[in-house]
Amino acid sequence: MLFALLLTLSLPTDWVPARWHWLETKTLELVSGTPVNCLLIDWDPQQRAQAAAFADAAAGKGIATLAVIHPGGDPAEPARDAIRAKLTGVVLEGDFPQDATDRVRAAVAPAPLIELTLRSRMPLGSKAPVIGTWQGVWPGIPLMEDGAAKAGPSGSPWINTNAGFLRAARAFGDSVVWIANSPQPKTVITAENYAQVIGDAAMVGARWVVALDDDLARRLHDGDKAALQVWSRIIRQLQFYEGHRDWRGFRTYAKLAVIQGVNDGALLSGGILDMIGARHTPVRAVPPDRLQPEALAGASMAVNVDAAALTAQQREVLKAFTRSGGTLLTGPADWKESAVPGKDQITLDDKQTKRLDDIWHDINSMIGRGNLGVRLFNVSSMLSNLLTSPDGKQVLVHLVNYSSYPVDSVTVHVLGDYRQAWLYTPEAPEKKLDVYKVDEGTGVDIDLVNVSATLRLE
Amino acid sequence: MTRRELLALIGAAPVALKAAPDAPTAPVSIAKCASYNDDVTATLGAMFDQIGGLERIVKGKTVTIKLNLTGSPGLRFKGRPLGVTHYTHPKLVGATAYLMGRAGAKRIRFVESGWALSGPLEEYMLDSGWNVRSLVSAAPGVEFENTNNLGKGKRYARLKVPGTPYMYPAFDLNHAFEDTDVFVSMAKLKNHETCGVTLSLKNCFGNTPASIYGDNAGVDEPNEKPTSGRGTVCHAGERQPSRSAPPELHFGANHDPGYRVPHIVADLVAARPVDLAIIDGIESIAGGEGPWIRSKPLRLVQPGVLIAGTNPVTTDAVATAVMGYNPRADRGTAPFQTCDNTLLLAERHGIGTTDLHRIEVVGVPIAQALYRYES
Repeated sequence: MLFALLLTLSLPTDWVPARWHWLETKTLELVSGTPVNCLLIDWDPQQRAQAAAFADAAAGKGIATLAVIHPGGDPAEPARDAIRAKLTGVVLEGDFPQDATDRVRAAVAPAPLIELTLRSRMPLGSKAPVIGTWQGVWPGIPLMEDGAAKAGPSGSPWINTNAGFLRAARAFGDSVVWIANSPQPKTVITAENYAQVIGDAAMVGARWVVALDDDLARRLHDGDKAALQVWSRIIRQLQFYEGHRDWRGFRTYAKLAVIQGVNDGALLSGGILDMIGARHTPVRAVPPDRLQPEALAGASMAVNVDAAALTAQQREVLKAFTRSGGTLLTGPADWKESAVPGKDQITLDDKQTKRLDDIWHDINSMIGRGNLGVRLFNVSSMLSNLLTSPDGKQVLVHLVNYSSYPVDSVTVHVLGDYRQAWLYTPEAPEKKLDVYKVDEGTGVDIDLVNVSATLRLE
Repeated sequence: MTRRELLALIGAAPVALKAAPDAPTAPVSIAKCASYNDDVTATLGAMFDQIGGLERIVKGKTVTIKLNLTGSPGLRFKGRPLGVTHYTHPKLVGATAYLMGRAGAKRIRFVESGWALSGPLEEYMLDSGWNVRSLVSAAPGVEFENTNNLGKGKRYARLKVPGTPYMYPAFDLNHAFEDTDVFVSMAKLKNHETCGVTLSLKNCFGNTPASIYGDNAGVDEPNEKPTSGRGTVCHAGERQPSRSAPPELHFGANHDPGYRVPHIVADLVAARPVDLAIIDGIESIAGGEGPWIRSKPLRLVQPGVLIAGTNPVTTDAVATAVMGYNPRADRGTAPFQTCDNTLLLAERHGIGTTDLHRIEVVGVPIAQALYRYES
């Protein structure tokens, strides 16, 4: 029976998840015909009957339902109960002991179990189809008390993002990564904010678990027109990224590689990967365990954050890289000792930030004005990601704007010669753009970016 | 403010500094231009005709145009494009290039020492949302120079301050300020935290390369990769510029930025005279020179004016009056509450008169162009 149910649903790797506030079947109309095909329901044994009816109705529409179980008591029993109520699977959200997780997995098998755990405890590199965490920063440009943007190292506004962490997490293996952070209570979340948090994850190939703030959820349930407009914007944003499935087959394209492990801060937001990202320099994350010659193929620069963490074999890979003309920058000798993150930590502390300055100056100098895949201009409120198609004939430049205002006149200089370019946005049909030659390769101008835009060149 | 009040205001005499009675004068043109979508080129062309024609100034010559691109391009005011807040607008820049090309300029070189910029100015412009390719095609011979360091030059040009300098006997500047026949200061109609107003004179403060006058300038030699502003050397006088350049004359005597910066600006304009001043007052900000200013509330303004003249002091005097201020006001009076009046200091150098009675205003009268900056 469970197998039959699973066969009618998408694979977990294709699930587009949303936290769901309701068990009324009529609320399924909100997701009918949308990319959202997986609903996360906080498991409450007292509402078992409603949950079962809801799961049944959802399954009839091809929508998976997952029971979310939080720490407190033995999670195996409620997990079993949820599966008996015909929910599709279980999510363990929180910091569960490994043996408890193992018991739940055994109890619900073959139903899927997804762990939303601490960043530091994510099963990176495992065979799990989906790995995830609830720990995330809320993406956007932080403001000072007077409403002005906080400036970053280059005088540009600093952007809070999960992109660096997600790049790193994805680099450990092939699992789909979910980031399930929720809006801060009592904060106003605009439609743009929702579009930004979706784009922040999707740009680097991850998925944000849609989580509505309480006020929006209440108004949406009541059929409030403005709330429905926000929901439409969320759906349109999801459709934009999920509607181009072929893009998920593209891989990171960057001439700069950062070799950084979990103990070196790879999973912290605001670290090296985010600082390079804020500089609009394409970067590929390479966990030390994955440091093989092919991990550096095509790279011309590499940053080895903690030389002491590498095995002799891995050091040989780096030697070969430098012998073939690559530039290698190695972190300070005492980096690791001072940078090891705490178990619950997701951003750099003051000491780590200070230590980061030691290496950042050298990274900045090494990169200089070089084009390491793409150079972007007039994008101070944006982050980006550069990808290439499996055959290497196309590149994608994902752009996400984190300001409350659209950005006009963006210039893109892509390394290499391309003859055609198209712009994709959630708001409009794809548009062909003019390309022109620049010293580094190909130039393209983009008139306007609201929140998300993707440029494709071939 | 009524016209009568305005006339009374601009007729007030300065208290402390005596004006040079024989300081030169030149006509200043004011034009209304409500929007950058209006025909800026036609408006500007008519203004140039009113001040004697562009051809006589630029034909067959190399023209260097100092823009005002102050502050990092990443810092925006209310997310607005830089050209409608604190940068000179690219449409005005393009229109100027086109008209100069049409008037026979041999070479049009746009210069600016962008914030922390050591790379090409073109990239700074791209980061500002400018279409550099369009600008290049606006006229033959358009080029760009980052004057924050040596740029494309091989050596710094030493420009001497004639007469009795206030602060520096000479400045070491990018070659572009010497290798030119005509020097144009293209400014924005704005307040300035340190100098009260920033117009065509104050715009020239940016002539100084941060490689020599910047916070992280080399002690002995210029630092060709400057990453900061000019706070310690110029504003505060806490250190001398690189030893390769002429040092400050009375080092340590005064650390007040409100004294130092206006005096340095007056010296700079004496050393590198301005042949044409163009002030962009179509859209701007009031209260300060950029979004990083916290001492006063900033606000978007739309004065809808362009101002141009061949003398930077007369042009700035008219522009200051258009902003609702007395161009001859002394320290303590708006907009010079905490600083010396750069215009008067330049006048005392003999660059031009601040006396509105001696300045011919052509086009729109000041009273009709008046847009009060003080909230």
